[in-house]
Amino acid sequence: MRNNPSLRTPVLAAAGVLALGLSLAGCGGSDSAGSDRPENEIHVLVYGDASNDVENAMVDKFNETSDVKVVLDTIPGAEYQQKLQTVMSTDAAPDIFFNWGGGSISDFVEADLLMPLDDFIEEDPQLEEAFLPSVFDVARVDDTPYGIPMRGTQPVMLFSNKEVLASAGISEPPQTWDDLLDAVDKLKAAGKTPIALGGGDEWPTQMWFSYVYDRVAGPELFASALEGDTEVWDSEESRESLGMLRDLVDSGAFGTNFQSVKFTDGGSHTLLSSGEAGFELMGSWEYSTIQDINPEFAENSLGWSEFPEIEGGKGDAANLVGNTNNYYSVLKDTRYPDAARDFLKLMYSDEFVQEHMAIGNLPTTTNTEQFLDQAANPDYASFQFGLVQDAPNFQLSWDQAYPPAATPTIHSAVSDFFAGSIDEDGFVAAMQSLKK
Amino acid sequence: MTTLLPPRPPAASDSPGKGSPVRPGRARLNRPGVAWTLPATIFFLLFAAVPLVAVVVLSFMTWTGLGEPKFVGMENWQTLAGDSVMLKSLWLSLLFIVLGVVTQTPVSILLGVWAAGPQRNRAVLSAIFFLPLLLSSAAISVLWRALLDPNFGVPAQFRWLFGDGNLFGHQSTAIGVIIFVSMWQFTPFHTLIYQGAAKSVPPVLYQAAEVDGAGRIRQFFSITLPQLRNSMITSVILMVVGGLTTFETVLILTNGGPGTDTTITAFYMFEEAFRRYNFGMGSAIALVLVVVATAISLIMVKLSGYDKMRSTMEGV
Repeated sequence: MRNNPSLRTPVLAAAGVLALGLSLAGCGGSDSAGSDRPENEIHVLVYGDASNDVENAMVDKFNETSDVKVVLDTIPGAEYQQKLQTVMSTDAAPDIFFNWGGGSISDFVEADLLMPLDDFIEEDPQLEEAFLPSVFDVARVDDTPYGIPMRGTQPVMLFSNKEVLASAGISEPPQTWDDLLDAVDKLKAAGKTPIALGGGDEWPTQMWFSYVYDRVAGPELFASALEGDTEVWDSEESRESLGMLRDLVDSGAFGTNFQSVKFTDGGSHTLLSSGEAGFELMGSWEYSTIQDINPEFAENSLGWSEFPEIEGGKGDAANLVGNTNNYYSVLKDTRYPDAARDFLKLMYSDEFVQEHMAIGNLPTTTNTEQFLDQAANPDYASFQFGLVQDAPNFQLSWDQAYPPAATPTIHSAVSDFFAGSIDEDGFVAAMQSLKK
Repeated sequence: MTTLLPPRPPAASDSPGKGSPVRPGRARLNRPGVAWTLPATIFFLLFAAVPLVAVVVLSFMTWTGLGEPKFVGMENWQTLAGDSVMLKSLWLSLLFIVLGVVTQTPVSILLGVWAAGPQRNRAVLSAIFFLPLLLSSAAISVLWRALLDPNFGVPAQFRWLFGDGNLFGHQSTAIGVIIFVSMWQFTPFHTLIYQGAAKSVPPVLYQAAEVDGAGRIRQFFSITLPQLRNSMITSVILMVVGGLTTFETVLILTNGGPGTDTTITAFYMFEEAFRRYNFGMGSAIALVLVVVATAISLIMVKLSGYDKMRSTMEGV
């Protein structure tokens, strides 16, 4: 039973060549300078959600006066980053695209696909000056700006249920870490889950790490880690932060079943709004999320405050953590760089700010302040804007500051540490395994 | 119900095609020309063979989806060989298969045999029972994830059974949930297989058994179960294949967690390729999965005698 080898080999070889050809076919985009890009139009790719109304309005406004027309493409759902990654090195790559700054574009910069925006900013300094610096800087890669802020800011804040706090004898939100521990004890005594945490999603757990590390060690620790200095994870400040987190978890601050609770299916914010929990650490979208499910609670009993100060820590108590904003980056190969630049200029226009305020977003331009009273909830909007404006440092979420390859490792590490299945050494080792 | 019977060999009087050579040991049938396999062959090459070769090539490369893939030789394979998560994921996959078969098979057989009965109410109940089959895995997983919320779902109502309801926080209970949800989803399908098979068991066997004085339990073990043998093999093979490729259920229910405690190989492949954008490594994991799956199928076919496919009509 011998197969015919003389026939087999060439067939296999042909299949191999074909397969290789297929896998390489999608990669030729970067060395052809714009000539094969569509004529008289530039494509803008954004994450598909409620904010698209504003983006559509901006596109319409731009197209009124421009010969080169902007076409808005949207990708709905959480798979945006995956789809972007697959389309970026093909001829169908967008001229301008939505991203999260930081690590979410570092692979693209490394692959030489993005246009440095220095020249644009030189021609129109407003493209940099019109934005809050702590936000603008997040889209710098190796000190070169690659993105213009294009939506609302999303700092992480400590939300609370005012009624639950009052019934447990807590008169005001915790100002310091000790206040927080004290509040945890009181809430436990009152039979509540002190802090709601969607540990099943893992990224809400990460928020606690980001803040405690920032308060204890200052933003420099994470910045060095991101630069590739993995030794910092083994530093005294790092272990001190982990010790504080360990104590908090062990004190029962999050209850015992937080690993099975999710933010994404409503578990954690329902705990807060139904009066089962006292606090929740969450991004600023918490307000609109809760308004959706329980408008009465959002209006009357939802409280918000800064993350508490940690006494003796190196980090400034005004530092923020979260998603600074979203950004537009420009493809190096774009056929109409001037049109792209002019489109980006709209992102600091009054109209842009007003449109976003109307749907509850908080843009990060310097002119935002004068429109704060037009927001859906002016108190909330101005509190948030004040935080962002005064923040000496606004730390992008760890999983977005690192390139996407690091996300699963970070998520597992924070989740395992909270669950107690790894100790401090295990956490340090996991974070040290991350490449720059 | 004769669909499960193997084709009967043609009687000697059936004349073979004009001039077609009759080889010894083969059924003397008028075989269609090779050209008829062309569409299937092209389809197979295009959508199975070519991608498989591409995956082999890619497993020796590093590629983030951007720019040119680079050859790195054995690097991915060496990393994978020393990767504890990979080994763990294989064990978990095998565990999922075993648990899936062990939980689904007995229930499917009992329900299938029951549903093969003649009464009218059974048809109605069976129809309701088959509903999960119509829902997508994603919808089912989202549903159960919500139902099992520790504070607002079923566990909150039955504290004596679920404790604090931290089902997704421990490896054993997280695996248990996935197995349970898979069972809830796929038992109807396997029940359908057994129902069809049970209906095709010749009634004369039961009549004879009754004459001999055998009770219902004795009938079940001595007649029904042996008659279901081939269906059982089919069903188990489908469970094994399904177990190896379980993905959405894990993604939505546990996201591979807690930590990597439910990261089965198919999920690990997804995570490497589409979360870390490490397509070379993802391809290597995919190949391991192909090899393991092929090995398991071959072993099963050999052990079960599926390749011989003996007639269920034996003894009639």
